Order: sequence, then C-alpha cells, then structure tokens
Amino acid sequence: MSSQLVIAALVSGSIYALIALGLNLIYGTMRLLNVAHGDFVMIGAYCAYWCVKLTGVSPLLAMLVAIPLTAGIGVVLYFGIFRMAMRSREFVERIEANSLLIFFGTSVIVENLTALAFTPNQRGYRYQDGIVEFLGAVVPVNKLIVLAIAAAVCIGAVVFFRISTLGLAIKALIQQREASALVGIPVARIDLICFCLGFAVAGLAGVLISMTEEISPFMGFPFTVVAFVVVILGGLGNVTGSLFGGLLLGVLETFGVALTAPSYRSIMIYAVFIAVLIFRPQGLFGSARART
Amino acid sequence: MRPRLLRRIALVTIAALLAVALPSLGNDYYTGFGFSLLAWVALTESWIIISGMAGYVSLGHVVFVGLGAYVAALTWTYLPLGAIVPLTGLSAGLLAAIVGYPCLRVRGPYFVILTLGLSELVKFIVINTEAALSMSGRVLFGAPDVDDIFYISLGLAWASLVIALIVRDSRFGAGLLAIRENEEAAETIGIPVSALKLAAFVLSAIIPGMVGGLMILRSTYFEPLQIFNPQTSVLIVTMAVIGGSDRPFGPLLGVGLLVVLQELLWARLPQLYMIIVGVLLISVVIWMPGGVYGRLQRLLPAGTR
Repeated sequence: MSSQLVIAALVSGSIYALIALGLNLIYGTMRLLNVAHGDFVMIGAYCAYWCVKLTGVSPLLAMLVAIPLTAGIGVVLYFGIFRMAMRSREFVERIEANSLLIFFGTSVIVENLTALAFTPNQRGYRYQDGIVEFLGAVVPVNKLIVLAIAAAVCIGAVVFFRISTLGLAIKALIQQREASALVGIPVARIDLICFCLGFAVAGLAGVLISMTEEISPFMGFPFTVVAFVVVILGGLGNVTGSLFGGLLLGVLETFGVALTAPSYRSIMIYAVFIAVLIFRPQGLFGSARART
Repeated sequence: MRPRLLRRIALVTIAALLAVALPSLGNDYYTGFGFSLLAWVALTESWIIISGMAGYVSLGHVVFVGLGAYVAALTWTYLPLGAIVPLTGLSAGLLAAIVGYPCLRVRGPYFVILTLGLSELVKFIVINTEAALSMSGRVLFGAPDVDDIFYISLGLAWASLVIALIVRDSRFGAGLLAIRENEEAAETIGIPVSALKLAAFVLSAIIPGMVGGLMILRSTYFEPLQIFNPQTSVLIVTMAVIGGSDRPFGPLLGVGLLVVLQELLWARLPQLYMIIVGVLLISVVIWMPGGVYGRLQRLLPAGTR
C-alpha cells in the first residue's frame, strides 16, 4: 500500500467525517433531515474565499468568520422556522417529511442567492500549494493542513462525546428524547446547541475544502449526498459511527479511483451507498434490529 | 365506482377534449406552452401517488425523467414513436421496481436519501456510458411534429390525473394513506405495506419516464447534465406541495402558478425564479400544510367539496 494513497484517503475521509458529523448531530437530536447541509459547507467555502481575496488574510483566520456565520444562520433557522413550526401539532406529526421540504427549500434559496450574488462560475484561490515530502509521500502542504485540522476536530468530537457533560447529554437526547427530559436535561437548549454545532462544523468543512478545491454555488449538493452516505454507513444518529463511516468512504473512494479511473469516482460513492442501503440499512456498526 | 369519482373523471376528460383544439390555433408558442403545462401536470400527478398519498417524499424524481429521455435518445433512430413512448415508461417502471426493493425493508428517512442518491447514481452512469461511447450530447434528427408531442402529453396528463383520482378513491389508496399516517399500525391490521409502497413507487415512475422521452423529442437534444438536472425534482416537489399533494386536483394549482411564473422569469432571471420557488415551498409547508387546494377546501361548505 503506498503511503501516497493512504494520505489522500485520510484527507478526503476526514473531511467527509466532519461534514457527516454535523448532519448526524441535527438528525440524531431533532429528527430533522437537513438536505441543505452541503449548502452550508458551500457558504463556509465562499466566506473563506472572500476573506482571502478581500483582506488577504490566511484562510485559517477565515474560520473565525465562517464558523460564527454558519452557526448564526443555524440560530436564525432554528428560531425563525423550527421553533415556531414545532408548536403546530400538524407539523410535528410529520416532522421528518416537513423538515425535509423546508431544508429542501432552504437549499434552493441558498444556492440561487449565491449564484445571483457571485455568478454561478467556479472560483478559487491559491494557498500553500507547495509540495513537501511527508512519510514517504509527496503531498501539497494545503492538504496536510486540511488533514491536521479535520482530524483534530474529529478526535476532539469523539473525546467531547465521551467525557464532557454536554456531550453525554447530547448522546442521551439522541438515544431517548423523552427520558432525557424527564431526568432534567434541558432539551430545548441542547437542540439549539446541536443546531449551532452542526452548522458550525459544516462551515468549518467549507473553509477547509476551499483551501484545496475550486468552489461554486452548486458545489453543496454532492457533499450533502456524500454526507448522507457516510451517515448511513455509520448509522443514522450514531455520532461516532459517522466518523468511521467518513474514513471508510475516503479509503474506498481513493483506492477505488486508483484502481479504476477518476471518472468512476461518483459512481463508486453512490454504488456503495445503494449497496449499504440494501444490505445493511441499520449501518455497518448497528445491530440488525436497531432501527427497522 | 362512486358517482363523485365518475363526475370528476368526466370533468377531467371534458377538459382534455377541449384542450385537443389548442394546436389547431396554429400558434407554436401556445402549443409549446401547453406541452410544458401538461408535462408538469403528468409529473406532479405521478409524484403525489408515492409522496403525497403514501408520504414517502421522493426528492429525486428527475431520475425517471432522465432515464426515459435516455432510452428515447438511444432508440429514436430505430423505433417508431408509438413504440418508444411505452418503452420509456416501461424502463422507468423497471428501475423503480428494482431500486424500490430497498424500501421494502427500510422506512422513512432512508427512502428519501435513497431517491436523492439514486438520481445522482444514474446520472453519473449515463455520463460515463456516453463518455465511453465518446458521445458528448446527442442531436435527434427528424424529431416528430410538435402537435403529435402535444397530443401524447395531453394523453399522459389525462391518464396521470385519472390514475391519481382512481387510486385516491380505492382500497389501494386507502392503504397508502394508512401508511402515511401510521405505518406500524397499518402493518398490524394486515395492510401489505411493503407491496403497496413498491406498487405506488412503480406507478409514480412510469409516466415521468414517458414525459422524459417526450421532452427530449421536443428539444431534440440530449445532454445528461441538463436532463438529469436536480432542479426538475425541486420543481415537481414544489408544484405539488404548493397546490396540495393530498388531493389529485391540488397539484394543478401549483403547476398553473409556477409554469406561468416560469414563462415570465426563466429566460431573464432563472435564479430569482428558483429563489421564489424555494420561498413558496417553505411558506406553504409552515403556514398552509394542505397546500392552496387544502385551504380552499376548508373555506368551502362541506357539501360542495
């Protein structure tokens, strides 16, 4: 196994894990299917692009703008739409379908507003694109930076969900929403925190992606689908599972492309996805009767 | 059949017979506009069978349109129009039957995610196949007359509406509504939920496949990225939900509103059009859960519904 491929797999895997983490957090706690998730990745990426182009700062500093921005949009959506809609009995009865349609609409609005404001064209900036030798592989510096940050956040998330009180409370909410309320976990506040965290991580992932790839207003949709693939691999609502799912997809994708051709990349991702849905819908790590 | 159902089918049939006269006006713009209207009616009325009645929201219905279009593009030079149209419907139905199988075993969000991924999978398979055949877009020579395409689309729109009306009033439809309201309970009282879901999914795929075939014969140009554009799925969902996806007459209102808006805005401000579509979708989901038709029904006295 060449270390070149392993590092490439880790880079895309850690990004996928990061994006899927946010998606899973929001689904796990509130049962909201955020099909606009990839579009918030896109917003993070555009935010980084304009920070770099207008002020010339490093995209690392752009995170300080992008993360509060996407988290802020999350707060606005939470209070502007979901807080209000959740009061209607009709809405809550079909919360998965309704939230889906709302996020679907959000996705269309965000994509087209961005296209209207910044043209639908692809754009990018150069950042640390020199090449270094690392563990026997030749890699661009920006990919190593992306890997370091994404991996740090993923490991941080695992630790957070294992030891911090807030992390444990979130996990409790994912497993037993009603019972969590009974034992005194402030459900509404944790909902809001998860909304913010989910969108913030999407924004962060967007900044990282913009360091190595070109961005466009419609780049989000493929990331949404990839995030769903990863979440299915790891199990819907299983937060640590989605981290492993992300890495696994990164490995499958990188080695699959190396063995065939780059044009098969998308087919491979979606084929894995359909195969998992058919054979292991409960996720690779879930038990057979967990959710059917 | 209940008299109310017969009355409604008669109403739809009379409207369709009146529409037959449209091409004889001799204005290609009106005929083209009529085709667009009818195509969207056929798409949304098919979509509500799985997504409105059974409550399994499909966000990737464009996959059936795209597949139908691809089949039509591949067979156009070899087969007559009368054979291509059923073939496109058959291939879309077959795809739905094959991939609908996972939804026999899984429920709720998994189905939605499946539709989302499926449309992308098929899109990339078609793109790669075309690349392997070294084709970049196909031009269809000697495309059929616009009037013929109009008449077929009229037939499809009529059929989709009548099918939706019949299904809504049948045991099958009652089973689908039961699945939407509470799937566990429906299964417990002996409704064959998996079989009904699969049947509804296949039924909602056939006509969109045929519409896809017609679209490509009208535009005479096949390009995978264009025909598999996710925006088509967005528009199907929005038109149906705005009008009201619970009743067969609901989507007609949404189609009317959005197709007119499309004529006004698409050429100059496509992004603004899509933004309005998104805003309408969100507003209707929050403030008008039954869509415009559901709201109208509530205003009318009970006897006239």
